[in-house]
Amino acid sequence: MIRKRIIGVITVKNGWAVQSIGYRRYLPLGRPEILAENLDRWGADEILLQCIDRSAHGLGPDLSLLDRVGRLGLSTPLIYAGGIRTAQDAITVVATAADRVLVDSMLWDDPDEIGRSGEYLGNQAIIASLPLSIEGHEVRWLNYRTGISAPFSDRLLKDLAAGTISEALVIDWRHEGQPLRFDAALLDALPCDVPLIAFGGLSDAAQLSNILRSPRVAAVAIGNFLSYREHALQAFKQNLVGLPIRPATYQQSSDFCAP
Amino acid sequence: MSRRTIGVVDYGVGNHASVWRALHGLGYRCRISAEPDVLSATDLLVLPGVGAFGAAMEALHRHDLDEYLKHRSRDGMPLLGLCLGMQLLADASSEHGLTAGLGLIPGNVEPLDQRRWHIGWNSIEVTKEDTLFRSSDGQSMYFNHSHVFRAPEEYQVCITRLERAFPVGVRRGNVVGLQFHPEKSQNSGRVLLSSIIEGLCR
Repeated sequence: MIRKRIIGVITVKNGWAVQSIGYRRYLPLGRPEILAENLDRWGADEILLQCIDRSAHGLGPDLSLLDRVGRLGLSTPLIYAGGIRTAQDAITVVATAADRVLVDSMLWDDPDEIGRSGEYLGNQAIIASLPLSIEGHEVRWLNYRTGISAPFSDRLLKDLAAGTISEALVIDWRHEGQPLRFDAALLDALPCDVPLIAFGGLSDAAQLSNILRSPRVAAVAIGNFLSYREHALQAFKQNLVGLPIRPATYQQSSDFCAP
Repeated sequence: MSRRTIGVVDYGVGNHASVWRALHGLGYRCRISAEPDVLSATDLLVLPGVGAFGAAMEALHRHDLDEYLKHRSRDGMPLLGLCLGMQLLADASSEHGLTAGLGLIPGNVEPLDQRRWHIGWNSIEVTKEDTLFRSSDGQSMYFNHSHVFRAPEEYQVCITRLERAFPVGVRRGNVVGLQFHPEKSQNSGRVLLSSIIEGLCR
């Protein structure tokens, strides 16, 4: 049986891992590489490394950081986000260390490049980043570079329905960093049946359990709330009884070497 | 026992760096190369790959590696295909039109018929008495694919299940293919990788 996933998120700003609160306050955590090592040891199902200042400054992907993270020899699948502008950027990111890419600004600027990325990497490698909110009764999609929210574009909905994108990261950006605040109504925002990853304001096992019971949710992503204690990820997993979750594991790479 | 050297076939497609790091982490010497002389000086070849079948076969051909891989594996050199690298071992794929594969293990690559993709962790079931796979029965591995290698049952070594079962591990003598990513499957992947490498090189 395919398992639902818990994805550990590392948010990077100016080269440092940070806690992000509501897309506007950032508190330093330390070196991204250390967090990646921790998530790998704790048995995260995937790691998302998102560099949030790359596209806004036209910097392209942070290949230097990606290379340093890659050199750690992580045995956990790695998703990279940040500064991916073209199919070639996406290909380079995968060649450097990532297994999948999360795209945001490309959805606004050049959706054709998403199709080209998928032609080369396979559509299963492409995830859409969708910071959403509900204003009145309308779902709004945030362009985080301009700070302006808008309804979904026809092109986005077409690409999601056509399978050009394999999963959508639904971000409750207004409630990001605030415990228990993820708005589950956002999970009904997309009219197509693309598998969803929920992110933003997820902090508690009971809340995760409710979200993961939705048939549309393939995974939950957690950032800040993995940073407050050692082995937080295993603790979440141990409390998600009865769900199709891979059991908590402790990875000890030194235990296993070739004869 | 001497330290084994693994050749990672570099044809410009895929995640060679991740594979190299996983093998290096297991204590193997690794050579990433497209040069037959370099690859032939190793104990086992790993054929990684991500992306589309046709583009990958074209890249193998462009690097003159398709014939090389066929000859070396028929000469008995161990070969392990990972993910797309496993699919390339097949006779042909229908992804983006019919494309011939390496033809090292009979069967064709077809779209998943149950879902669009198979992404995430799923457990494998070992269906043959094969010492290379035995200890991995029931272990969870990381998958990320949309097509399946439909090999005849005699070449299937392990399966996984969505609504229905489908093959995810194939073997024909010294040639083994895995649909999942053992290099990204944490300890369960490391155990299987090591077992296959040691078993094929014995």
